[in-house]
Amino acid sequence: MLNPLDVVKVIEDNMRRYGFPFPVPREAVYSWAKPLRLPDRGSTMLYTGALYQLTPYIASIVEQLSAIEGSRVSGLALKLSGILSSLGVSRLIVRPKGDMASVVERILASIASLLERAEVKAAYPYEDDMYSGVLLYDLGLDELFKEHAVKVYRALKSRGAELLVTVDPHTTHIMRSVYPRYVDGYDLEVKSYLEVLAERGVRLVREPSGDKVVIHDPCLYARFENVVEQPRMLLRMAGFDVMEPRRSRKMTYCCGGPIEGLTPRMAKMIAKTRLEELREKSRTIVTLCPICYVNLRAVAEGDVEVIDIALVLSGAKP
Amino acid sequence: MTFNALQAYQEIWEALLDEEFQEALRRASTISQVRVEELLAERGELVELCREVAGIKRRSIDILEELVERAYRSLEAVRAKPYLAGDAEEARRIIGGLVGSGKLVVIAKSMAAAEVGLRGYLESLGNEVWETDLGELLVQLEGSKPMHTTTPAVHMTRYKAIKLISEKLGVKLEGDSVEEAVKAVREFLRGKIARADVGISGANALAADTGAVVLVENESNIRLVTSTPPIHIALVPVDKIVPTLLDAVKVAMVQAAYTGLYPPTYISIIAGPSSTADIERVRVYGAQGPRELHVVLLDNGRLKALKDPILKEQHRCIRCGRCQYECPVWVHTANKWGGPAYGGPMGLVWTAITVDPVEAGKLSYLCLGCGRCDASCPVEIPLSTILRHLKSIASRSS
Repeated sequence: MLNPLDVVKVIEDNMRRYGFPFPVPREAVYSWAKPLRLPDRGSTMLYTGALYQLTPYIASIVEQLSAIEGSRVSGLALKLSGILSSLGVSRLIVRPKGDMASVVERILASIASLLERAEVKAAYPYEDDMYSGVLLYDLGLDELFKEHAVKVYRALKSRGAELLVTVDPHTTHIMRSVYPRYVDGYDLEVKSYLEVLAERGVRLVREPSGDKVVIHDPCLYARFENVVEQPRMLLRMAGFDVMEPRRSRKMTYCCGGPIEGLTPRMAKMIAKTRLEELREKSRTIVTLCPICYVNLRAVAEGDVEVIDIALVLSGAKP
Repeated sequence: MTFNALQAYQEIWEALLDEEFQEALRRASTISQVRVEELLAERGELVELCREVAGIKRRSIDILEELVERAYRSLEAVRAKPYLAGDAEEARRIIGGLVGSGKLVVIAKSMAAAEVGLRGYLESLGNEVWETDLGELLVQLEGSKPMHTTTPAVHMTRYKAIKLISEKLGVKLEGDSVEEAVKAVREFLRGKIARADVGISGANALAADTGAVVLVENESNIRLVTSTPPIHIALVPVDKIVPTLLDAVKVAMVQAAYTGLYPPTYISIIAGPSSTADIERVRVYGAQGPRELHVVLLDNGRLKALKDPILKEQHRCIRCGRCQYECPVWVHTANKWGGPAYGGPMGLVWTAITVDPVEAGKLSYLCLGCGRCDASCPVEIPLSTILRHLKSIASRSS
């Protein structure tokens, strides 16, 4: 097993150096938006917080950590502080995993296009689409988180942001419910794009296809941000029959993602439990969060398909 | 007591590789989740009662120090002997002094006893000590620690349990009949309880207005242990004190409901030692039950935790263990994800309060922050927020 304290140290070190939990090229965050030519200033701002864009890198790192976790080094890792750093984990220039980077680009482009269809004129902050710092908060690295949050807030304000339209549950939660407690004078309104689409009544209406999809509620949307009915309504508008797993809505079950970097093995066990429960209802599993997407996809076998809701709503899939 | 988070991580890793352990937990957690879910759906009044108990516990925390004093006076008024133990060592010393050595001691289920390491201590004084809750007895025979608050042997399959009973109690058990195993343990423990010098219990709640100890159970071992031996010692963490007897009974009822066993088979109210005044109105203590009742109020970091506005929320906990069964991490680790006694979401916080916040914080990194514990807690403790707070304590310390 890995020594979680070491993993935390590696993340802290990377955040100070790169502004990300692990080294990724900055352009990887905003290159998806270049062809769209969105305005780079505006009061309504599409803010991704980089989480979707990080997932291909996370998947690659987790694969490497899994190998360390299961190896003989792992016993050592628990005993010897700093062994992960000495193995070079902190300096890994990780490559995005397989086709995931292109999937992520399609997801983000779909979100932008859905907002356009809902007649939301959103700007995009490009270089200032910074990582929200969510992992720092989750790991209790409060001082570093606060420092980082102030930077993010100032950057977004400097581009005229008043309403942030977020794209994932972690960033939605951190920007809406956590930043106000850490950033003095914080005055940004924050809405998930799913809330915006539901409010604006985006024109998705299609004939019922009779296709069954099962919805996997992400924990933060369901239990902390009350984004529960909107995705269901949107999926139904798009013609799908939405199935509920045994544990859904407020009592949804985690995908295991938040501990994938600390103990990939247990994260996978949790994901498997959840995947089994979801597939009982449909072979098409709709996720609303990039972390859930990566974790459930990693354990999906055979004819089970895990798809991000943005792709489903935009008609790209299934 | 001390513990080391890295050692616990090593044990967690071993548990992840142990298929029998995983299978036992998977089965128990699924059954428990479904049972409680169905029970609450059937009985709306229990959900109402939870809200009421959450309010009772909230108000109790605000006046906890005063409640401790009130309880102390009420215990004296009913001829129970109260003590206040500042820490685990003092609790052991007080109880060790009352028990002495060369005695036969039976313990009803008590997580507080595990918290202070009571069984081992009493044995070290030269006493014969037996756990009487079946799950606790199995844990004693295995030489491990309770793996869940209300179901301590949750990690064992029937085969493991039967093997332990056969080998360690010298009882011949053939086949895999749980009924036969229970019968064998009943006979064995009955013999011990009947001859015991001292019975030790915990408490689900203690009423400050009357000094009444309230205990809820299904096995009836608590009834026997608290009423058969001539001396009863109750070890009661101070956070279990509530203002009135009615409050205390409500706490016990919610605790039972959230373990999925409702109605509880037994609720005991014990206010003082047994007595009779049937002959010429002369009050004599020690009728059919104990002649002495000693109540040790256990602080062990709880009053200090009141000063931490986040940590003090934990004092609402009624030890139902719901958060453990609902936690996606705990269902793979049981209380191996925890300190010497407690584990899982609520258990890490109790470990922080009673043992070491930094080491508990290091273990808290495994918390997903998913909030299922928050959503399932009958008294609305923001467990995921407290666990994040512990992570931050651990991060600051390094």
